[in-house]
Amino acid sequence: MAKQTSAEHRTGTDEQFGTAEQTDQVGSGDGTVQASDGARPGQAGSAGWALAASTDASLNQRTKSTDHGRRGLIWAIVAATVVVAFIVGFVLVRGRGKSDAAPAGRPSSKVTVGLKLAPSNLDIRNQSGSALDQLLIGNVYEGLVARDADNHVVPSLAQSWDQNADGTLYTFHLNPGMTFSNGHKLDSEDVVWSIRELVSKQYHNADQLKNLQSIEAPDANTVELRLSAPYSSLLWVLTGRPGLVFDKGASYDMKTQAVGSGPYLLTSFVPNDSATLQANRKYWGERKAKTPTVVVRYLGDDNAAVNALKSKDVQVLAPITENLATPFRSDKDHYQVQAGDDTDKYVLAFNSKGPKTADLRVRQAIRHTIDHQELIASRGGSDKALGGPIPSLDPGYEDLTGLYKHDVAKARELMAQAGYSPANPLELRLTYANTYGTELGDQLRSQLKPIGIDLKVNVVEFSTWLQDVYQNHDYDLSLVDHNESHDFSQWTSPDYYYGYDNPKVRRLYDQAMASTKPKDTSRLLAQAARQVSQDAPADWLFNYRVTTAELKGVKGFPLNLNQTLMPLRDLTYCPGVGD
Amino acid sequence: MRFLFRRFLILVMTLLGLSLLIFVAVRILPGDLASVMAGLNAPPERVEALRSQLGLDRPLPDQYLTWMADLARGDFGRSLLTGRSVSVQVGDRAAVTFPLIGLGLLIAMVIGLPMGCLSLLASKPWVRSLVHVLAIVGGSMPALWGGLLLILLFSRGSGLLGIFPSQGFAQGGWSTPGKALWSLVLPALTLGLIIGASLMRYTRAALADMLGSGYMDMARACGMTRTHALLRVGLRLALPQLVSVLGLTFAEMITGAMVVENLFALPGLGSGLVSDLGNRDLIAVQSELFMLAAFFLLVGFLVDMIHRLADPRLKAAGEGGSGTSTRQVTA
Repeated sequence: MAKQTSAEHRTGTDEQFGTAEQTDQVGSGDGTVQASDGARPGQAGSAGWALAASTDASLNQRTKSTDHGRRGLIWAIVAATVVVAFIVGFVLVRGRGKSDAAPAGRPSSKVTVGLKLAPSNLDIRNQSGSALDQLLIGNVYEGLVARDADNHVVPSLAQSWDQNADGTLYTFHLNPGMTFSNGHKLDSEDVVWSIRELVSKQYHNADQLKNLQSIEAPDANTVELRLSAPYSSLLWVLTGRPGLVFDKGASYDMKTQAVGSGPYLLTSFVPNDSATLQANRKYWGERKAKTPTVVVRYLGDDNAAVNALKSKDVQVLAPITENLATPFRSDKDHYQVQAGDDTDKYVLAFNSKGPKTADLRVRQAIRHTIDHQELIASRGGSDKALGGPIPSLDPGYEDLTGLYKHDVAKARELMAQAGYSPANPLELRLTYANTYGTELGDQLRSQLKPIGIDLKVNVVEFSTWLQDVYQNHDYDLSLVDHNESHDFSQWTSPDYYYGYDNPKVRRLYDQAMASTKPKDTSRLLAQAARQVSQDAPADWLFNYRVTTAELKGVKGFPLNLNQTLMPLRDLTYCPGVGD
Repeated sequence: MRFLFRRFLILVMTLLGLSLLIFVAVRILPGDLASVMAGLNAPPERVEALRSQLGLDRPLPDQYLTWMADLARGDFGRSLLTGRSVSVQVGDRAAVTFPLIGLGLLIAMVIGLPMGCLSLLASKPWVRSLVHVLAIVGGSMPALWGGLLLILLFSRGSGLLGIFPSQGFAQGGWSTPGKALWSLVLPALTLGLIIGASLMRYTRAALADMLGSGYMDMARACGMTRTHALLRVGLRLALPQLVSVLGLTFAEMITGAMVVENLFALPGLGSGLVSDLGNRDLIAVQSELFMLAAFFLLVGFLVDMIHRLADPRLKAAGEGGSGTSTRQVTA
């Protein structure tokens, strides 16, 4: 979800280019300080100074100079050609054979990972944004439980857990002898304190921890969590921020520092630029960090990121757009490029309570018109089509792409019933944050034109989007990458910006959450998702899959879900393995 | 002395007016930090809680007065987002931007001053034409394009020659001066080429102005050659104009270098300001803007002072003439 948030400092590329004019103004020198040159614009150059001179000699010189002027220009062109030819020649002779003199086979003591979206501070209890989860969870902070690459719950601080028959009491058995990186002991008291703080201070995602009745520590290695009613997502929720365990006895500025129990220590953090992780030598567990130093660099500009990988300034780059990854894909001797699954859903929301989009026929027509394969192909073809609100890594997934097949004729018919045609088009506003680029908006506009929708694309700053669309619900269409996993509850709250409300969906979701059998939960969620998709409160453009490019010799970097969870303890790089 | 005092008073009044303008302007923007921090799945209560925790719900006059009181004590506040003090944050960014501009101006002077003189003094007309064409090409080149060209030619990784890093500042900052300087070469060159081209034109224009003046006739009457007269007398007389241009260019570059900073992924003042604004980190933005404005005004103030030092005629012309151009006096 709030990937966009952390992306915000990257917004404003437009403004930045806007100021190019400002820079140029200094350059062109028009109007600002001294405009004396402008007084004789035509004669600038050879004739300029001659006007001022008064002797016959200089007059004579002046008459000659016009003659010379033309020859001078020719000379200038010749000179320029020679210079360019020299440079090109030099480059060709030099060739592109760059060799890397690295000792083969020995693991590097430092690996640099290039990411895109940067966190602006480290306060994981208050600041939203998956960039923080990505950097800190599993590396610096650890939760009671964790997630594996397939989005399933696995042990972490708790080595095992039991659950009573009606799903209201969870007993967690903690690993013995755990410590924080500052040497403090980590036991059940810290777990209980962390979760109580979360609830009382209503930290980020505290609302996900539903039905919590009490949490107690009967002994140093046991935690009992009691629910007022069963909640099937509980364990999964505890893999995220609500389950993180902080040191009760430590005091530090959470915005600028991070002290946890994980395999890495965070030794430096420069907002929007980089973070340095050092292996925690005193890590309590068996699976210690394999690389002594991992540097995470945030490269907001895609081309910059590609350059960094090419020059080996970074050894791993995630994400890289499919289109930019093509040259790396073909250079198999030096790079390995792979796409991993993710839970990012590009949601084109239709304001269900909006004056124009409240009409089901209009919403259905849009869904029939959008050519998802074309969108995916233009992005390089690695993303997956997604017909409903649940992605393949979440419980309740089923392929719903058949519900609204690409059928422009049918869409036209629906639009005609609603009273619109290409001759009498319906004007709709699409509002989205500038982090997603302008291409998607342009593509949607041209796709929707034939059925009589005149789409006005309004690309704004994320903070503006938050205010207009998210808070004030003032929009027709909106586009956001909802990247969180297990976020179906969005479709069950009528106050959410979608404005979607179907009692049947709410009932199914409640039943799914109250079920104690994972199978039933999945079945009920699938039913609810199918219903949502049928009601067409949105179109799911695609399920974004993240592409990771690495130098040959990099091992252990997570491919799935690495934009939300990026455990780095197994990451290693042996230079020269591929050369 | 009276002049100094009056200029200082104007400076203070302008700053006060500016502070009010900045304060109001950044609050007209839609959206706020609390909702940016809370993100997409947060319930409205959480946004409200954050808002009061961050003090964003206090009445505006109250916020303004607190800010002013802090400013008066030299405290620029603490960024609500990063939790770091604004002055430290600005200092870190200035440690990138100022050397970048300084280096850029140095390159600009190395290119611009001799070329400017050359464009007037070269005996061969084709040299003059060539220099002039270069000035026009350089001056009209967008920074983005020029920078990209340099990246394509010289950057490690994708560049043809692969010499300089093109992305980001040195990891250790200025604790590794060599690396830090190395990472500023391409951006500074981009800035320098563009400023250099315009500086060349300013130099040329200022010198051309001198050519027609009586000072030159006088100098030549004393037996100097034209070249000699121009370099010894003309350049000296043109100095105040050039100082103005350089001073203003420096101040303007603080935000004007943003395009270059962005292109080379440098964590400088311009790109920092944009990201803070995007996050609606208003406390940081207003203090940063204020600092920049104050700096800009101070540079103007200093330029005026240097003017008077470099051009004694201004002082002689009377205490009233604050910052007038030299030409008024020569006319």
